Amino acid sequence: MIPEPLKRLALADNVGLATILVVAVAALAIANPAFLTSFNLYVVLTSLALWTCVALAQMTTLAIGQMTLSLGSLGGLVAVTVGGLCEVWGVPLPLAIAIALLVGLAGGLLNGVLIAASGVNSFIITLATFSAFHGLTLGLTRAIPFYNMPAALKALGNARYGAIPLMLGIVLVVAVAVHIVFTRTRLGRHMLAYGGNPQAALLSGLSTARIVIAAHGLSGLLAAIAAILTVGRLQVAQPTIGEDWLIVSFAAPIIGGASLTGGHVSVPGTLLALALLAIINDALVLLGVDPFWVQVVLGGLILAVVGANRLREGHRLGEAVAR
Amino acid sequence: MTGVIEISAVTKTFPGVRALDDVSISLAAGEIHALIGENGAGKSTLIKIITGVHLPDRGEMRLDGVPVVFRSPHEAIGAGIGAVHQERNLVPRFTVAENICLDRLPTRHGLIDNRSIVADAERWLKTMGLALDPRQPVRELSVAQMQLVEIAKALSLRSRVLLLDEPTASITPHEADLLFDILRDLKARGVAILFVSHRLEEVLSLCDRVTVLRDGRNTAVSQPFAGLGRSDLVRLMIGRDEDAGSARNAVATEGAPVLELKGLSTAAGHRNLNLRLHAGEILGLYGLIGCGRSELAKAIIGIIPVTGGEVSVAGKPARIGSVAEALAKYKIGYVSEDRKGEGVVLDHSISANIGVTVWQRLARGILHYLSRARETKTVRPFAEKLQIRAPSLAVLVGKLSGGNQQKVSVAKWLVAGTEILILDEPTVGIDVRTKAALHELIRELADRGTAILLISSDMPEIVALADRIEVMNGFQIVGRLENSHAYADVSRQIMDAIHGAADQPQMAASIATGRTETAGETRGRMMS
Repeated sequence: MIPEPLKRLALADNVGLATILVVAVAALAIANPAFLTSFNLYVVLTSLALWTCVALAQMTTLAIGQMTLSLGSLGGLVAVTVGGLCEVWGVPLPLAIAIALLVGLAGGLLNGVLIAASGVNSFIITLATFSAFHGLTLGLTRAIPFYNMPAALKALGNARYGAIPLMLGIVLVVAVAVHIVFTRTRLGRHMLAYGGNPQAALLSGLSTARIVIAAHGLSGLLAAIAAILTVGRLQVAQPTIGEDWLIVSFAAPIIGGASLTGGHVSVPGTLLALALLAIINDALVLLGVDPFWVQVVLGGLILAVVGANRLREGHRLGEAVAR
Repeated sequence: MTGVIEISAVTKTFPGVRALDDVSISLAAGEIHALIGENGAGKSTLIKIITGVHLPDRGEMRLDGVPVVFRSPHEAIGAGIGAVHQERNLVPRFTVAENICLDRLPTRHGLIDNRSIVADAERWLKTMGLALDPRQPVRELSVAQMQLVEIAKALSLRSRVLLLDEPTASITPHEADLLFDILRDLKARGVAILFVSHRLEEVLSLCDRVTVLRDGRNTAVSQPFAGLGRSDLVRLMIGRDEDAGSARNAVATEGAPVLELKGLSTAAGHRNLNLRLHAGEILGLYGLIGCGRSELAKAIIGIIPVTGGEVSVAGKPARIGSVAEALAKYKIGYVSEDRKGEGVVLDHSISANIGVTVWQRLARGILHYLSRARETKTVRPFAEKLQIRAPSLAVLVGKLSGGNQQKVSVAKWLVAGTEILILDEPTVGIDVRTKAALHELIRELADRGTAILLISSDMPEIVALADRIEVMNGFQIVGRLENSHAYADVSRQIMDAIHGAADQPQMAASIATGRTETAGETRGRMMS
């Protein structure tokens, strides 16, 4: 059973985003009928699917009150791993995917172990591993992409049922799993407890090192899924995959209601935020706006949402004082 | 007597500080053992060694006669040692139930079983006589309720050893009595209990044996209370007798007040509140935590919006919109009860902490250049007057003791030429010796003409210092008395004022004042 006040709050958090989303869709459908064509919806949903695991990966580290800057460069490393295994070593695709996922997991665990063992801020550690992973990727590939990807991998990234891409189904399963982890499993609750009050987690007898390592491991695994899907979509394992992940990885969870100080994340909120970002992006294309303006709009949107949250929290503070 | 836990000759050193030096203590099954000492004497460090937060450098700990080493709180809890620490030990966004069961969240098919968490938590809340909804998020609770939830959480571990570090610091006397009943019951069932408190009266009435620490060393080891009185305990703690405190001359309160509240209403929930403060007067504002004292102070200095009535300073209506304005225009200073959170910047030097209020005045030229020498020169006389003990003014405030930090947060208002000073719990968590020095300082300030509004829930402090006392409860002034300094008499009058107010129907009162979230608070207060 979900406690009533929590339910109301969760609802309120997402209702705002959902409303904006519905209004945006309706406005776009009226402004440009091309929006509702099956192909355009497919484009929007594909972009949503590609970004979902990127955002969830960052959301997982935000949950424990940390962050990972190495997300994108780890994604690049995973992408060339899967590409190299298939093209150069001729490894069967399922095995290549499994190994690539392990590389992502290992990269995340490495972040976690370094942070937990050294006690150094996650910003600094992941800034260092960002550089290391990136260097590794470029060193291994000499910055040359792998072009000959297996047909099955290409299909994974491009199969569609009407407007619905296959990838969307995959990432929704992942998203539901992550949602359950954070709402209903011991590990997930412990991550949020640590994010909400690290001292309390320690004094309550939780193993805080394990929590930190697990969160970064999960984050790395999610980044790996995102990287593999991206290779499938592009049909090329480029070393540059992941270079543009950073901003969206933070923007979506935060717009979706995550607390930067940790202890609170929302999978539904993050998905709604991603959908909104995908639609805005699409709208600017449909309306013939210069793509560079998309970045400006994204920045404006982050500021607007953070500002709105700030107002809402100010309101809550007033209530707390009144008690 | 062999103890469940025996600590012998434990030493613990932190960089620059020897927190514990050759300390021993023995906890027996079925006893309540007091651990007392001034702030910084090492009580919390000792508790953190027993609970595995810190590892001792030297010395031995035995559990049932077997040497043990706890490397984490997890191991200590596993060995049956539960604790209520001084730090907030709750996750704000989690429910009461989840917080209580955090380390052993029960699962079914791998998923958390919320129903059994709520049922488990409900049992412990009931034991505590707490009428709280286990599904309520902790951040919606009052400070006192949080403290009670922490105690319930420690009890729920069903540990054989229970360590309580200042469990009564923020709860009402009534709630404390309830806790003591539970502790006596646990004692009868053979639990070994370690009880830390600054309130010696509690210790004397509750505990069987006592261990005293002074500057990280034992001055008493597991000694029975027989023959020990309050003054003996104080001598063991501070090494000499308690200061009586000098008497103060009577203050004329007939003249025009320097600060007056007329029918004040605030966004925090005060309604139609009246108060007068005169130059050279110490006006005590007594009330329990959560009664609206600090909120009133924050309304006066412009942090919480005033929604009705008037604040007037020196006879003229004042519209104070910010702390900067309160200070610059009306010379009102506020020393927060949350010293570390709101009072001082721990990573900055003493002189920067004190000087911050006058940087505006000290800055020179178009770049507003701030000379460190000028700052130090301005600040030094105040630091000396308050006897802030430090090798130099460049020392970081974080390195000072709690009492000296508090002096710094007072000094910064003095340097700004404050005429009205609001002191919010100025001696909370400060040891007996420094407390006496701070009290002396407050008296001196008033004697020199500063008008002081002293907010405190420490009854002896109010009775010792205040000229007049206003009693606050539920965001209202419920009593107003001249202070005769006769403790028994004045304290009874204060409690009568609070209980007189509490006897009125609370729901009706809260509806009348338009507050919506009082149901929980009322329940908490009426949970007898």
